[in-house]
Amino acid sequence: MKRREMLIGTAIGGAAGVATLAAITQSNQAFAQTTPGAQPGAGGTLDRIIKEKKLRVTAEVTSPPFGILDKNNQPDGSEIATSRQLAKDLGVELELVQVTAPQRIPALLAGRADVAISSLSITFDRAKTVMFAPPHGALSIVIAGPKGKQIRNAEDMAGKKIGLTRATLEEATVPAIAPKSASLVMFDDIAATMQAMVSGQVDAAGMSAFAAKSVGDRNPKAEIENKFTVTTAYYAAAVRPGDFDLLQFLRTWVFLNKQKGVLAEIYQKYTQVALVDLPAM
Amino acid sequence: MKYVFQFGIVWDHLPQLLEGAWLTLRLSLGAFALGFAVAVMLAFLRTAGPRGVRTAIAAYVEIIRNTPFLVQLFIIYFSLPALGIRMEAITAALVGMSINFSGYATEILRSGIEAVPKSQIEAGHSLGFTRMEIFRHIVAFPALRTVYPALASQFVLLMLGSSVVAAISAEELTAVTNSLQSTTFRAFEFYFVATAMYLAMALGSRVLLNALYWFVFERRQPLREAWSR
Repeated sequence: MKRREMLIGTAIGGAAGVATLAAITQSNQAFAQTTPGAQPGAGGTLDRIIKEKKLRVTAEVTSPPFGILDKNNQPDGSEIATSRQLAKDLGVELELVQVTAPQRIPALLAGRADVAISSLSITFDRAKTVMFAPPHGALSIVIAGPKGKQIRNAEDMAGKKIGLTRATLEEATVPAIAPKSASLVMFDDIAATMQAMVSGQVDAAGMSAFAAKSVGDRNPKAEIENKFTVTTAYYAAAVRPGDFDLLQFLRTWVFLNKQKGVLAEIYQKYTQVALVDLPAM
Repeated sequence: MKYVFQFGIVWDHLPQLLEGAWLTLRLSLGAFALGFAVAVMLAFLRTAGPRGVRTAIAAYVEIIRNTPFLVQLFIIYFSLPALGIRMEAITAALVGMSINFSGYATEILRSGIEAVPKSQIEAGHSLGFTRMEIFRHIVAFPALRTVYPALASQFVLLMLGSSVVAAISAEELTAVTNSLQSTTFRAFEFYFVATAMYLAMALGSRVLLNALYWFVFERRQPLREAWSR
Protein backbone atom coordinates (compact mmCIF):
# COMPACT_ATOMS: atom_id res chain seq x y z
CA MET A 1 0.00 0.00 0.00
CA LYS A 2 2.76 2.34 1.06
CA ARG A 3 4.70 1.48 -2.06
CA ARG A 4 1.73 2.07 -4.27
CA GLU A 5 1.15 5.46 -2.74
CA MET A 6 4.78 6.28 -3.29
CA LEU A 7 4.52 5.25 -6.92
CA ILE A 8 1.46 7.40 -7.41
CA GLY A 9 3.18 10.27 -5.63
CA THR A 10 6.22 9.94 -7.87
CA ALA A 11 4.00 9.80 -10.93
CA ILE A 12 2.13 12.95 -9.91
CA GLY A 13 5.37 14.70 -9.06
CA GLY A 14 6.87 13.69 -12.37
CA ALA A 15 3.82 14.85 -14.28
CA ALA A 16 3.91 18.19 -12.47
CA GLY A 17 7.58 18.53 -13.37
CA VAL A 18 6.94 17.79 -17.03
CA ALA A 19 4.00 20.22 -17.06
CA THR A 20 6.14 22.96 -15.52
CA LEU A 21 8.88 22.31 -18.05
CA ALA A 22 6.37 22.41 -20.89
CA ALA A 23 4.92 25.67 -19.55
CA ILE A 24 8.39 27.21 -19.36
CA THR A 25 9.35 26.18 -22.89
CA GLN A 26 5.98 27.36 -24.17
CA SER A 27 6.30 30.76 -22.58
CA ASN A 28 9.81 31.05 -24.00
CA GLN A 29 8.39 30.41 -27.42
CA ALA A 30 5.81 33.10 -26.85
CA PHE A 31 8.58 35.61 -26.33
CA ALA A 32 10.80 34.22 -29.06
CA GLN A 33 8.35 34.48 -31.94
CA THR A 34 7.27 38.05 -31.86
CA THR A 35 6.30 38.37 -35.50
CA PRO A 36 2.53 38.66 -35.61
CA GLY A 37 0.89 36.09 -37.87
CA ALA A 38 3.86 33.79 -37.95
CA GLN A 39 2.59 31.69 -40.85
CA PRO A 40 0.49 33.91 -43.08
CA GLY A 41 0.02 31.18 -45.74
CA ALA A 42 -1.22 31.80 -49.25
CA GLY A 43 -4.56 33.49 -48.65
CA GLY A 44 -4.62 34.55 -45.02
CA THR A 45 -5.26 32.77 -41.77
CA LEU A 46 -8.79 31.57 -42.54
CA ASP A 47 -7.65 29.85 -45.74
CA ARG A 48 -4.78 28.22 -43.92
CA ILE A 49 -7.09 26.91 -41.17
CA ILE A 50 -9.42 25.38 -43.72
CA LYS A 51 -6.56 23.95 -45.78
CA GLU A 52 -4.74 22.46 -42.81
CA LYS A 53 -8.06 21.40 -41.26
CA LYS A 54 -6.80 22.63 -37.91
CA LEU A 55 -7.88 25.55 -35.70
CA ARG A 56 -5.62 26.55 -32.84
CA VAL A 57 -7.39 28.32 -29.97
CA THR A 58 -6.07 29.54 -26.62
CA ALA A 59 -7.31 27.60 -23.60
CA GLU A 60 -7.04 29.21 -20.20
CA VAL A 61 -8.15 26.63 -17.65
CA THR A 62 -7.96 28.36 -14.29
CA SER A 63 -11.07 30.54 -14.54
CA PRO A 64 -14.27 28.70 -13.69
CA PRO A 65 -16.78 28.59 -15.25
CA PHE A 66 -15.04 29.79 -18.44
CA GLY A 67 -12.09 27.44 -18.47
CA ILE A 68 -11.34 24.61 -16.09
CA LEU A 69 -9.72 21.19 -16.05
CA ASP A 70 -12.30 18.45 -15.62
CA LYS A 71 -11.97 15.30 -13.48
CA ASN A 72 -9.78 13.69 -16.14
CA ASN A 73 -7.55 16.77 -16.32
CA GLN A 74 -9.00 17.71 -19.73
CA PRO A 75 -9.87 21.34 -20.58
CA ASP A 76 -13.53 22.16 -20.11
CA GLY A 77 -15.72 25.18 -19.41
CA SER A 78 -17.88 27.58 -21.39
CA GLU A 79 -15.02 29.05 -23.44
CA ILE A 80 -13.67 25.60 -24.28
CA ALA A 81 -17.17 24.56 -25.38
CA THR A 82 -17.35 27.75 -27.46
CA SER A 83 -14.01 26.85 -29.11
CA ARG A 84 -15.27 23.33 -29.86
CA GLN A 85 -18.39 24.79 -31.45
CA LEU A 86 -16.31 27.12 -33.60
CA ALA A 87 -14.08 24.29 -34.82
CA LYS A 88 -17.16 22.18 -35.53
CA ASP A 89 -18.80 24.96 -37.55
CA LEU A 90 -15.56 25.47 -39.48
CA GLY A 91 -15.39 21.74 -40.11
CA VAL A 92 -11.84 21.48 -38.82
CA GLU A 93 -9.99 19.83 -35.97
CA LEU A 94 -9.53 21.82 -32.74
CA GLU A 95 -6.13 22.22 -31.15
CA LEU A 96 -6.25 23.79 -27.69
CA VAL A 97 -3.18 25.84 -26.81
CA GLN A 98 -2.96 26.06 -23.02
CA VAL A 99 -2.09 29.51 -21.74
CA THR A 100 -2.12 31.35 -18.42
CA ALA A 101 -4.38 34.38 -18.06
CA PRO A 102 -1.66 37.00 -18.71
CA GLN A 103 -0.48 34.94 -21.73
CA ARG A 104 -3.78 34.98 -23.57
CA ILE A 105 -2.91 37.89 -25.87
CA PRO A 106 0.86 37.26 -26.15
CA ALA A 107 0.18 33.66 -27.29
CA LEU A 108 -2.16 34.96 -29.99
CA LEU A 109 0.25 37.65 -31.16
CA ALA A 110 3.14 35.19 -31.19
CA GLY A 111 1.22 33.00 -33.63
CA ARG A 112 0.86 30.05 -31.25
CA ALA A 113 -2.92 30.30 -31.60
CA ASP A 114 -5.13 31.57 -34.44
CA VAL A 115 -7.93 32.81 -32.16
CA ALA A 116 -8.03 33.73 -28.50
CA ILE A 117 -11.23 32.52 -26.86
CA SER A 118 -10.50 32.87 -23.15
CA SER A 119 -13.10 35.19 -21.58
CA LEU A 120 -11.27 38.29 -22.87
CA SER A 121 -13.37 41.30 -21.87
CA ILE A 122 -13.51 43.93 -24.57
CA THR A 123 -11.46 46.94 -23.47
CA PHE A 124 -9.78 49.88 -25.20
CA ASP A 125 -6.34 48.74 -24.10
CA ARG A 126 -6.77 45.30 -25.60
CA ALA A 127 -8.38 46.68 -28.75
CA LYS A 128 -5.12 48.51 -29.43
CA THR A 129 -3.27 45.21 -29.86
CA VAL A 130 -5.87 42.69 -31.10
CA MET A 131 -9.12 42.76 -33.09
CA PHE A 132 -12.25 41.72 -31.27
CA ALA A 133 -15.14 39.74 -32.74
CA PRO A 134 -18.64 40.67 -31.52
CA PRO A 135 -19.20 39.51 -27.91
CA HIS A 136 -20.40 35.96 -27.33
CA GLY A 137 -20.76 36.18 -23.55
CA ALA A 138 -21.16 38.57 -20.65
CA LEU A 139 -19.76 38.82 -17.17
CA SER A 140 -21.60 40.87 -14.59
CA ILE A 141 -19.98 42.31 -11.50
CA VAL A 142 -22.52 42.48 -8.69
CA ILE A 143 -22.64 43.55 -5.08
CA ALA A 144 -23.79 40.47 -3.21
CA GLY A 145 -24.68 40.11 0.44
CA PRO A 146 -26.89 38.42 3.03
CA LYS A 147 -30.63 38.98 2.72
CA GLY A 148 -30.85 41.15 5.86
CA LYS A 149 -28.56 43.90 4.53
CA GLN A 150 -30.45 46.75 2.87
CA ILE A 151 -28.37 47.65 -0.18
CA ARG A 152 -30.29 48.54 -3.33
CA ASN A 153 -27.83 50.82 -5.09
CA ALA A 154 -24.37 52.35 -4.85
CA GLU A 155 -25.49 55.06 -2.37
CA ASP A 156 -26.72 52.39 0.06
CA MET A 157 -23.12 51.21 0.47
CA ALA A 158 -22.49 54.32 2.62
CA GLY A 159 -21.17 53.33 6.04
CA LYS A 160 -21.02 49.67 5.09
CA LYS A 161 -18.06 47.34 4.79
CA ILE A 162 -17.69 46.05 1.24
CA GLY A 163 -15.28 43.18 0.53
CA LEU A 164 -13.31 43.19 -2.74
CA THR A 165 -10.59 41.04 -4.27
CA ARG A 166 -7.38 42.68 -5.46
CA ALA A 167 -6.50 42.75 -9.19
CA THR A 168 -10.03 41.98 -10.40
CA LEU A 169 -12.65 43.75 -12.46
CA GLU A 170 -14.59 44.49 -9.25
CA GLU A 171 -11.57 46.23 -7.75
CA ALA A 172 -11.38 48.34 -10.89
CA THR A 173 -15.07 49.32 -10.88
CA VAL A 174 -16.56 49.32 -7.35
CA PRO A 175 -14.32 52.01 -5.77
CA ALA A 176 -15.39 54.45 -8.50
CA ILE A 177 -19.07 54.22 -7.55
CA ALA A 178 -18.78 53.66 -3.79
CA PRO A 179 -19.67 56.59 -1.50
CA LYS A 180 -16.82 58.03 0.59
CA SER A 181 -18.14 56.61 3.85
CA ALA A 182 -18.18 53.04 2.53
CA SER A 183 -15.16 51.14 3.75
CA LEU A 184 -13.64 48.93 1.08
CA VAL A 185 -11.98 45.85 2.54
CA MET A 186 -9.40 44.22 0.24
CA PHE A 187 -8.57 40.53 0.15
CA ASP A 188 -5.96 38.70 -1.89
CA ASP A 189 -8.15 35.98 -3.30
CA ILE A 190 -11.80 35.44 -4.04
CA ALA A 191 -12.05 32.61 -1.50
CA ALA A 192 -11.14 35.00 1.36
CA THR A 193 -13.63 37.60 0.10
CA MET A 194 -16.40 34.99 0.02
CA GLN A 195 -15.46 33.75 3.49
CA ALA A 196 -15.54 37.30 4.86
CA MET A 197 -19.04 37.77 3.46
CA VAL A 198 -20.36 34.44 4.76
CA SER A 199 -18.87 34.97 8.23
CA GLY A 200 -20.26 38.51 8.37
CA GLN A 201 -16.89 40.27 8.55
CA VAL A 202 -18.10 42.45 5.68
CA ASP A 203 -21.68 43.57 5.00
CA ALA A 204 -21.50 42.79 1.31
CA ALA A 205 -18.92 42.02 -1.35
CA GLY A 206 -18.25 42.78 -4.99
CA MET A 207 -17.71 39.76 -7.24
CA SER A 208 -18.81 38.23 -10.52
CA ALA A 209 -22.42 37.06 -10.65
CA PHE A 210 -21.11 33.49 -11.04
CA ALA A 211 -19.00 33.74 -7.92
CA ALA A 212 -21.98 35.17 -6.02
CA LYS A 213 -24.17 32.33 -7.20
CA SER A 214 -21.66 29.64 -6.31
CA VAL A 215 -21.08 31.02 -2.80
CA GLY A 216 -24.85 31.35 -2.31
CA ASP A 217 -25.47 27.78 -3.46
CA ARG A 218 -22.81 26.38 -1.17
CA ASN A 219 -23.99 28.36 1.87
CA PRO A 220 -27.79 28.31 1.75
CA LYS A 221 -28.01 29.40 5.41
CA ALA A 222 -26.23 32.69 4.69
CA GLU A 223 -29.05 33.66 2.26
CA ILE A 224 -26.74 35.46 -0.16
CA GLU A 225 -28.49 37.51 -2.82
CA ASN A 226 -27.42 39.91 -5.54
CA LYS A 227 -28.03 43.49 -4.40
CA PHE A 228 -27.33 45.30 -7.65
CA THR A 229 -25.24 45.02 -10.80
CA VAL A 230 -22.17 47.26 -10.86
CA THR A 231 -21.17 46.70 -14.45
CA THR A 232 -21.48 44.16 -17.22
CA ALA A 233 -18.39 43.32 -19.24
CA TYR A 234 -18.74 41.59 -22.56
CA TYR A 235 -16.11 39.15 -23.68
CA ALA A 236 -15.32 38.09 -27.20
CA ALA A 237 -12.98 36.12 -29.40
CA ALA A 238 -9.89 38.02 -30.53
CA VAL A 239 -7.68 37.65 -33.58
CA ARG A 240 -4.35 39.13 -34.66
CA PRO A 241 -4.48 42.58 -36.22
CA GLY A 242 -4.84 42.21 -39.98
CA ASP A 243 -6.64 38.85 -39.92
CA PHE A 244 -9.77 40.39 -41.41
CA ASP A 245 -10.85 37.19 -43.16
CA LEU A 246 -10.96 35.30 -39.89
CA LEU A 247 -12.60 38.23 -38.11
CA GLN A 248 -15.34 38.36 -40.73
CA PHE A 249 -15.96 34.65 -40.31
CA LEU A 250 -16.24 35.16 -36.53
CA ARG A 251 -18.78 37.97 -37.05
CA THR A 252 -20.92 35.66 -39.13
CA TRP A 253 -20.39 32.83 -36.69
CA VAL A 254 -21.51 34.88 -33.66
CA PHE A 255 -24.54 36.17 -35.60
CA LEU A 256 -25.69 32.68 -36.59
CA ASN A 257 -25.08 31.03 -33.23
CA LYS A 258 -26.78 33.87 -31.40
CA GLN A 259 -29.78 33.38 -33.66
CA LYS A 260 -29.81 29.60 -33.22
CA GLY A 261 -29.49 29.95 -29.46
CA VAL A 262 -26.24 27.94 -29.33
CA LEU A 263 -24.35 30.64 -27.43
CA ALA A 264 -27.11 30.98 -24.83
CA GLU A 265 -27.20 27.21 -24.44
CA ILE A 266 -23.44 26.91 -23.79
CA TYR A 267 -23.56 29.85 -21.38
CA GLN A 268 -26.53 28.46 -19.45
CA LYS A 269 -24.99 25.00 -19.25
CA TYR A 270 -21.74 26.13 -17.64
CA THR A 271 -22.80 29.16 -15.62
CA GLN A 272 -26.36 28.19 -14.63
CA VAL A 273 -27.17 31.81 -15.37
CA ALA A 274 -29.22 33.01 -18.35
CA LEU A 275 -27.23 34.92 -20.96
CA VAL A 276 -28.13 38.60 -21.19
CA ASP A 277 -28.91 40.21 -24.55
CA LEU A 278 -25.62 40.55 -26.38
CA PRO A 279 -25.21 43.91 -28.08
CA ALA A 280 -24.12 43.99 -31.72
CA MET A 281 -20.66 45.25 -32.61
CA MET B 1 12.71 41.56 -22.85
CA LYS B 2 13.39 45.08 -21.80
CA TYR B 3 11.84 46.49 -18.66
CA VAL B 4 11.88 50.19 -17.93
CA PHE B 5 11.82 50.90 -14.20
CA GLN B 6 9.47 53.64 -13.14
CA PHE B 7 10.03 54.49 -9.52
CA GLY B 8 8.27 57.85 -9.88
CA ILE B 9 4.91 56.22 -9.30
CA VAL B 10 6.19 54.72 -6.04
CA TRP B 11 7.11 58.15 -4.68
CA ASP B 12 3.61 59.38 -5.61
CA HIS B 13 2.19 56.70 -3.33
CA LEU B 14 4.83 57.01 -0.61
CA PRO B 15 2.40 58.37 2.02
CA GLN B 16 0.23 55.25 1.66
CA LEU B 17 3.29 52.99 1.94
CA LEU B 18 4.49 54.86 5.04
CA GLU B 19 1.04 54.54 6.58
CA GLY B 20 1.20 50.80 5.94
CA ALA B 21 4.67 50.58 7.48
CA TRP B 22 3.44 52.55 10.51
CA LEU B 23 0.63 50.04 11.04
CA THR B 24 3.18 47.20 10.69
CA LEU B 25 5.27 48.80 13.44
CA ARG B 26 2.27 49.46 15.69
CA LEU B 27 0.99 45.91 15.30
CA SER B 28 4.45 44.47 15.98
CA LEU B 29 5.09 46.59 19.07
CA GLY B 30 1.58 45.99 20.39
CA ALA B 31 1.83 42.25 19.85
CA PHE B 32 5.29 42.23 21.43
CA ALA B 33 4.06 44.03 24.57
CA LEU B 34 0.90 41.94 24.97
CA GLY B 35 2.56 38.67 23.98
CA PHE B 36 5.52 39.29 26.28
CA ALA B 37 3.30 40.07 29.27
CA VAL B 38 1.35 36.87 28.70
CA ALA B 39 4.58 34.90 28.14
CA VAL B 40 6.14 36.04 31.44
CA MET B 41 3.10 34.79 33.33
CA LEU B 42 2.97 31.56 31.39
CA ALA B 43 6.72 30.94 31.73
CA PHE B 44 6.49 31.44 35.51
CA LEU B 45 3.56 29.02 35.79
CA ARG B 46 5.23 26.63 33.35
CA THR B 47 8.23 26.26 35.67
CA ALA B 48 6.77 26.95 39.13
CA GLY B 49 3.05 26.14 38.79
CA PRO B 50 1.18 22.96 39.74
CA ARG B 51 1.51 19.94 37.45
CA GLY B 52 -1.88 20.37 35.70
CA VAL B 53 -1.16 24.00 34.86
CA ARG B 54 2.32 23.11 33.62
CA THR B 55 0.89 20.50 31.24
CA ALA B 56 -1.80 22.86 30.00
CA ILE B 57 0.76 25.56 29.22
CA ALA B 58 3.07 23.08 27.52
CA ALA B 59 0.14 22.02 25.32
CA TYR B 60 -0.67 25.68 24.50
CA VAL B 61 2.93 26.34 23.50
CA GLU B 62 3.12 23.24 21.32
CA ILE B 63 -0.19 24.01 19.57
CA ILE B 64 0.88 27.57 18.79
CA ARG B 65 4.34 26.60 17.62
CA ASN B 66 3.21 23.68 15.47
CA THR B 67 0.37 25.24 13.49
CA PRO B 68 0.63 27.79 10.67
CA PHE B 69 0.24 31.44 11.69
CA LEU B 70 -2.05 32.04 8.70
CA VAL B 71 -4.44 29.33 9.87
CA GLN B 72 -4.44 30.79 13.40
CA LEU B 73 -5.40 34.15 11.89
CA PHE B 74 -8.18 32.62 9.79
CA ILE B 75 -9.62 30.94 12.89
CA ILE B 76 -9.67 34.25 14.77
CA TYR B 77 -11.03 36.31 11.88
CA PHE B 78 -13.29 33.91 9.97
CA SER B 79 -14.27 31.18 12.46
CA LEU B 80 -14.78 33.02 15.76
CA PRO B 81 -17.67 35.13 14.34
CA ALA B 82 -19.64 31.86 14.17
CA LEU B 83 -19.32 31.76 18.00
CA GLY B 84 -20.39 35.38 18.24
CA ILE B 85 -16.88 36.83 18.70
CA ARG B 86 -16.43 39.41 15.96
CA MET B 87 -13.30 41.52 15.66
CA GLU B 88 -12.15 44.17 13.21
CA ALA B 89 -9.34 43.02 10.94
CA ILE B 90 -6.71 45.07 12.82
CA THR B 91 -7.87 43.81 16.22
CA ALA B 92 -7.91 40.24 14.92
CA ALA B 93 -4.39 40.75 13.55
CA LEU B 94 -3.16 42.12 16.91
CA VAL B 95 -4.77 39.28 18.86
CA GLY B 96 -3.40 36.67 16.45
CA MET B 97 0.13 38.10 16.51
CA SER B 98 0.08 38.42 20.33
CA ILE B 99 -1.05 34.82 20.81
CA ASN B 100 1.48 33.57 18.30
CA PHE B 101 4.32 35.55 19.86
CA SER B 102 3.34 34.49 23.39
CA GLY B 103 3.75 30.84 22.38
CA TYR B 104 7.31 31.32 21.18
CA ALA B 105 8.27 33.75 23.95
CA THR B 106 7.01 31.38 26.68
CA GLU B 107 9.33 28.68 25.41
CA ILE B 108 12.25 31.11 25.14
CA LEU B 109 11.70 32.43 28.67
CA ARG B 110 11.30 28.92 30.05
CA SER B 111 14.75 27.99 28.76
CA GLY B 112 16.13 31.14 30.39
CA ILE B 113 14.49 30.36 33.71
CA GLU B 114 15.79 26.81 33.67
CA ALA B 115 19.30 28.11 33.01
CA VAL B 116 19.33 29.93 36.37
CA PRO B 117 21.46 27.80 38.74
CA LYS B 118 19.35 25.73 41.13
CA SER B 119 21.51 26.84 44.07
CA GLN B 120 20.34 30.44 43.67
CA ILE B 121 16.70 29.40 43.94
CA GLU B 122 17.54 27.27 46.99
CA ALA B 123 19.27 30.29 48.47
CA GLY B 124 16.04 32.22 47.97
CA HIS B 125 14.08 29.52 49.75
CA SER B 126 16.51 29.55 52.66
CA LEU B 127 16.03 33.31 52.99
CA GLY B 128 12.29 32.69 53.33
CA PHE B 129 11.30 34.16 49.93
CA THR B 130 7.97 33.13 48.44
CA ARG B 131 7.89 31.62 44.91
CA MET B 132 6.75 34.96 43.52
CA GLU B 133 9.58 36.79 45.31
CA ILE B 134 12.18 34.28 44.13
CA PHE B 135 10.91 34.76 40.57
CA ARG B 136 10.94 38.53 40.78
CA HIS B 137 14.20 39.12 42.67
CA ILE B 138 16.38 36.15 41.78
CA VAL B 139 15.24 34.47 38.58
CA ALA B 140 13.70 37.10 36.30
CA PHE B 141 16.68 39.36 35.63
CA PRO B 142 19.38 36.77 34.80
CA ALA B 143 16.85 34.64 32.92
CA LEU B 144 15.83 37.58 30.75
CA ARG B 145 19.44 38.45 30.17
CA THR B 146 20.27 34.93 29.01
CA VAL B 147 17.46 34.81 26.47
CA TYR B 148 17.53 38.44 25.38
CA PRO B 149 19.19 37.76 21.98
CA ALA B 150 16.65 35.04 21.23
CA LEU B 151 13.77 37.33 22.21
CA ALA B 152 15.14 40.15 20.06
CA SER B 153 15.35 37.81 17.06
CA GLN B 154 11.82 36.64 17.73
CA PHE B 155 10.64 40.26 17.66
CA VAL B 156 12.15 40.74 14.21
CA LEU B 157 10.51 37.51 13.06
CA LEU B 158 7.22 38.77 14.49
CA MET B 159 7.52 42.00 12.51
CA LEU B 160 8.42 40.27 9.25
CA GLY B 161 5.73 37.64 9.83
CA SER B 162 3.15 40.39 10.24
CA SER B 163 3.00 40.59 6.42
CA VAL B 164 0.69 37.57 6.62
CA VAL B 165 -2.11 39.61 8.21
CA ALA B 166 -2.70 41.20 4.79
CA ALA B 167 -4.70 38.04 4.09
CA ILE B 168 -7.39 39.08 6.58
CA SER B 169 -7.53 42.61 5.11
CA ALA B 170 -5.47 44.44 7.74
CA GLU B 171 -3.97 47.27 5.69
CA GLU B 172 -0.34 47.00 6.77
CA LEU B 173 2.69 47.42 4.51
CA THR B 174 2.24 44.22 2.49
CA ALA B 175 -1.49 44.79 1.97
CA VAL B 176 -0.90 48.38 0.84
CA THR B 177 1.85 47.21 -1.51
CA ASN B 178 -0.39 44.48 -2.97
CA SER B 179 -3.18 46.97 -3.60
CA LEU B 180 -0.88 49.52 -5.21
CA GLN B 181 0.89 47.05 -7.47
CA SER B 182 -2.38 45.53 -8.65
CA THR B 183 -3.77 48.91 -9.70
CA THR B 184 -0.58 50.37 -11.18
CA PHE B 185 0.91 47.14 -12.65
CA ARG B 186 4.28 48.23 -11.27
CA ALA B 187 4.83 45.08 -9.22
CA PHE B 188 8.61 45.11 -9.24
CA GLU B 189 9.01 48.71 -8.13
CA PHE B 190 6.49 48.47 -5.30
CA TYR B 191 7.77 45.15 -3.94
CA PHE B 192 11.32 46.44 -4.16
CA VAL B 193 10.52 49.51 -2.08
CA ALA B 194 8.43 47.47 0.37
CA THR B 195 11.33 45.05 0.81
CA ALA B 196 13.67 47.95 1.49
CA MET B 197 11.22 49.30 4.09
CA TYR B 198 11.00 45.93 5.86
CA LEU B 199 14.79 45.70 5.83
CA ALA B 200 15.12 49.18 7.31
CA MET B 201 12.57 48.40 10.03
CA ALA B 202 14.25 45.09 10.88
CA LEU B 203 17.76 46.56 11.04
CA GLY B 204 16.50 49.63 12.88
CA SER B 205 14.78 47.55 15.53
CA ARG B 206 17.90 45.40 15.95
CA VAL B 207 19.96 48.52 16.65
CA LEU B 208 17.37 49.79 19.14
CA LEU B 209 17.10 46.40 20.84
CA ASN B 210 20.89 46.17 21.16
CA ALA B 211 20.94 49.65 22.70
CA LEU B 212 18.21 48.57 25.12
CA TYR B 213 20.26 45.51 26.05
CA TRP B 214 23.26 47.65 26.85
CA PHE B 215 21.11 50.10 28.80
CA VAL B 216 19.40 47.43 30.91
CA PHE B 217 22.06 44.77 31.36
CA GLU B 218 25.56 46.02 30.54
CA ARG B 219 25.43 49.48 32.07
CA ARG B 220 25.00 48.22 35.60
CA GLN B 221 26.96 45.05 35.78
CA PRO B 222 28.00 44.47 39.38
CA LEU B 223 30.79 42.05 38.46
CA ARG B 224 32.43 44.37 36.00
CA GLU B 225 32.08 47.29 38.39
CA ALA B 226 33.73 45.20 41.07
CA TRP B 227 36.63 44.30 38.84
CA SER B 228 37.24 47.77 37.54
CA ARG B 229 37.49 49.24 40.99
